Amino acid sequence: MSKLFRSLSRNRWRTVAVSALLIVLGGISGWMWPGNRSYPLFLVAASVVAGADIARRALADLRMRRIGIEALVSVAATGAILLGEVWEAAAVTFLFQAGATLEQVTLRRTRRALTHLVDMAPTTAIVVREGSHVEVPAAQVTSGETVLVKPGARIPVDGQVVEGRAWTDESSITGESTPVAKEPADVVYAGTVTTGGLLRVEATATGSDTTLARIIARVEEAQEAKAPAQRFIEKFGRWYTPAVAGAALIAFAVSRDAHLALTLLVIGCPGALVISIPVSIVAGIGRAAQAGILIKGGEHLETTARIDTVAFDKTGTLTTGEFQVADVVPVIDQVSADRVLALAAAVETLSEHPLAGPVVDAAQSRGSAQLEAEGFAQHAGRGVSAQVAGTSVAVGSERLMSELGVEVSPDVARILDRLTGEGKTALLVAAENRVIGVVAMADTLRDDAATGVSRLHRAGVTRLWILTGDSERVASRVATASGISEVKAGLLPEDKLAAVQELQATGLVAMVGDGVNDAPALAAADVGVAFGPGATAVAAETADVAILSGRVEAIADAIEYARATTRNLRQNVVVSIATVGLLLTGVLAGEVHMAGGMLIHQLSVLVVIVNAARLLRLGRRKTKSRTETIMEGSVPRPRDLVV
Amino acid sequence: MSTITKTVLRSDEFSCPSCVSKIEAKLADLPGVVSAQVHFTTGRIEVEHVADETTVDDLVSAVDQVGYLAVPQAF
Repeated sequence: MSKLFRSLSRNRWRTVAVSALLIVLGGISGWMWPGNRSYPLFLVAASVVAGADIARRALADLRMRRIGIEALVSVAATGAILLGEVWEAAAVTFLFQAGATLEQVTLRRTRRALTHLVDMAPTTAIVVREGSHVEVPAAQVTSGETVLVKPGARIPVDGQVVEGRAWTDESSITGESTPVAKEPADVVYAGTVTTGGLLRVEATATGSDTTLARIIARVEEAQEAKAPAQRFIEKFGRWYTPAVAGAALIAFAVSRDAHLALTLLVIGCPGALVISIPVSIVAGIGRAAQAGILIKGGEHLETTARIDTVAFDKTGTLTTGEFQVADVVPVIDQVSADRVLALAAAVETLSEHPLAGPVVDAAQSRGSAQLEAEGFAQHAGRGVSAQVAGTSVAVGSERLMSELGVEVSPDVARILDRLTGEGKTALLVAAENRVIGVVAMADTLRDDAATGVSRLHRAGVTRLWILTGDSERVASRVATASGISEVKAGLLPEDKLAAVQELQATGLVAMVGDGVNDAPALAAADVGVAFGPGATAVAAETADVAILSGRVEAIADAIEYARATTRNLRQNVVVSIATVGLLLTGVLAGEVHMAGGMLIHQLSVLVVIVNAARLLRLGRRKTKSRTETIMEGSVPRPRDLVV
Repeated sequence: MSTITKTVLRSDEFSCPSCVSKIEAKLADLPGVVSAQVHFTTGRIEVEHVADETTVDDLVSAVDQVGYLAVPQAF
């Protein structure tokens, strides 16, 4: 496909090159032998070479009863030849063609951010059908089927790992290139690339239902959504060309100056103006999408750029929303914290409760001894118990202990009070009917919460708030750790909504949430920011911006991209309006002629496109491949901050 | 049998928004085309058509006649 494109643009370049060569030959012969017949011949040939394609397009337009810029240029060039102005004719056609070709190449660059995503779309899948492996187009896999993903291959479907371990590069979805470990039961996304192992994946979504396809669709919708200014300019553009053609006719009728009339025709395309806004928006939204930030259109881009207040729904944004073991408190002298954790983990390994995983993980990462448990029993809503190496162990709530006849001493009760007061969830661990320790779990602060917040400050966000349903104590701990001074705690979803509206009275508010019980507040805010890898589904409905990476810093990035894009867009509008004004006055004052007019016009279009393409280089971070270190299993884990 | 198919074509050759209405008009003239929408900014062409009357190849060649190369895409 890209080969075809290349050969086509090569042809266009060849046309441009041949006509340039003919112009140069004409120039040389005119200079060496003034008055010689070869000079006009060379230049007419140059006009024909460059103009044939223009004329072909003009005819296609006319057949559909439309007058486009190609028709104007064709008439102007033909007119110039008839008037004997062969130099003007050659220059106009050459400049038009060279400009159009360059514009195509540079415009392709501004759309490139998205092309990258589209190219990530998987093409084929190896699916297991009736025991054998069949290769089929990726979109033809049905949900529930199992696909085989070889190391280094692109995952063809959204699904769940059923067998195997590997690393995946999810940058096409989240914008983060740090490889993510995948093992059975983990979710994988179509279009992400695996390394290090063979995976069997059960498909949950395929083809246009995959997360990647939905992201592409959403980015495109955003890029296609027209800002009000853009609609106005497009209307203007539709009238501009016929108006200029009319003006040229009138000018000729009044002044009998064919040259002036033809010059007006040449500058009759509003080129730079009509593309000024769309190219900036495409490049800006595309650049943000590469970083895992979906901005839902030009309008939201402009609002995001002016944000001065950011409110966070704490859980899932500043924190990961995932529990981790924060404290292990042994309560009798003979038993160490490690032992408490090891015993608890041995029992919890057999449990499927959400709090079981963190206990097992903590035991593993602290290198506690791995013990075998048997005779496992689940006490619904209260805890679990089992025999570990002949010792009966119970892990659970105070109620479980009293049911099992285990005494909870006043000392232990005080520890429990302190931990729950800190917003933590505490589990009691008992061995042989005696409480031996307490394991407390808490939500984890994201490792970039503080840097993200300070970057927001630097980006000119003056007010930062935490709006949370959690207790005051937990909220202020998170606030202090992340550098936010204002907190409203204990809020119900409708209270969050009211709090956002209150903030809106004095500023432009962005509300950041993970979409769980903060949808009304997201919808009410000037900019609703859906946060986290799971944000896609919610973002489709209420949010204006979705941040897929789970990086707090990405909120500052989003504001910076939005600002850069609106700035870029204004520059483009100024450049193109100035050019139109300059050209019209120049032509009417008799200072600008056909070739010069075409040159200025084409240059202004290029300036606008190249300016927009600058947005793609915005804040490019070094993305060094970390695959090698990962493969050796030495992934540096961010230090977990438990709040 | 006249089920309506939705086909997406992409082109990265659009250099002036004037092509939008040209391509839309050209596609709308084809038999069996219910709607055609061209997006300049993304280079995306969405067509709803009766595949029995107008095939995807017909769509591609219609766009080609207006002067642009477009390629069908899965989504």
